[in-house]
Amino acid sequence: MFDGDYDYLIKFLALGDSGVGKTSYLYQYTDGKFNSKFITTVGIDFREKRVVYRSNGPDGATGRGQRIHLQLWDTAGQERFRSLTTAFFRDAMGFLLLFDLTNEQSFLNVRNWISQLQIHAYCENPDIVLCGNKSDLEDQRVVKEEEAKQLAEKYGIAYYETSAVDGTNVSKAVETLLDLIMKRMERPFASADQNATGTSRRSVTQGRSGGPRPLGRRRVKS
Amino acid sequence: MGDKPIWEQIGSSFVQHYYQLFDNNRCHLGAIYIDSSCLTWEGQQFHGKEAIVEKITMLPFQKIQHSITSQDHQPTTDGCILSMVVGQLKADDDQIMGFHQVFLLKNISDAWVCTNDMFRLALHNFG
Repeated sequence: MFDGDYDYLIKFLALGDSGVGKTSYLYQYTDGKFNSKFITTVGIDFREKRVVYRSNGPDGATGRGQRIHLQLWDTAGQERFRSLTTAFFRDAMGFLLLFDLTNEQSFLNVRNWISQLQIHAYCENPDIVLCGNKSDLEDQRVVKEEEAKQLAEKYGIAYYETSAVDGTNVSKAVETLLDLIMKRMERPFASADQNATGTSRRSVTQGRSGGPRPLGRRRVKS
Repeated sequence: MGDKPIWEQIGSSFVQHYYQLFDNNRCHLGAIYIDSSCLTWEGQQFHGKEAIVEKITMLPFQKIQHSITSQDHQPTTDGCILSMVVGQLKADDDQIMGFHQVFLLKNISDAWVCTNDMFRLALHNFG
């Protein structure tokens, strides 16, 4: 499918209640299409995409592009049969947390998903982007943009209103998450590093044992 | 059906009955277990009819449908029947998932009961 030449392999997980549109969202992102009847192949439920990441230095100059191989994982619905455990979150470096703007309960459950992440992810403050999906169904909306923004602000995470149908903000949210991950990886010394809100952030390599190593294999030296 | 060995007949009738109950009225599954039955559900252990029924009843979906792909049955040396089922299931509007389930059936005072039950989803690239 892809050749092995890339600088980093980055794994993201899409989370959120059943029916919020995780699969369609990922499909829209990787293939630019909405497929309401996405048929899954059991056992290989992730989608992949190659992107080039250019970091913006403090002087505004863009650095050399890093070739990123993005793996986007979805659940198969197994959370109904067992609780998702550390094994499920293993190696995931960033999380797209989706809820459905037309379903109040899926929004209320965002808090539970965040607590799950705080317990099982590689550190207590993993990088998360919150997406209010199905923004195309404006007439059925029950969650106000303001409410969702306030919740995201409370947790210090980014928020986008997205649509897997028309593609609104789908790439934008993934790019924001990638940017957070790349910035986290560039910070090698966690102890000396504080984020904007003053909480110390562990670096990717110094997370909990087994936490995500940048799966980068710098196969090609430049 | 008549020329099939008896353990095949008992095993397949049990399997049919079990999934019919599970899909339509899973709170009534208690009828097939006894107080010393064991269930291992996705690695989690439950002991006794009551604990087993509680676990199965509390699973968070409204609708579930099982479709059996294959089933195998064997007689054991101590007169029980060992059954293995491979199939697919669909919970509410989720995608279809594969599963495996193994049952050990024992004849106690002329009735067949399930003494051991193990269930796993057939998912490989997930934790």
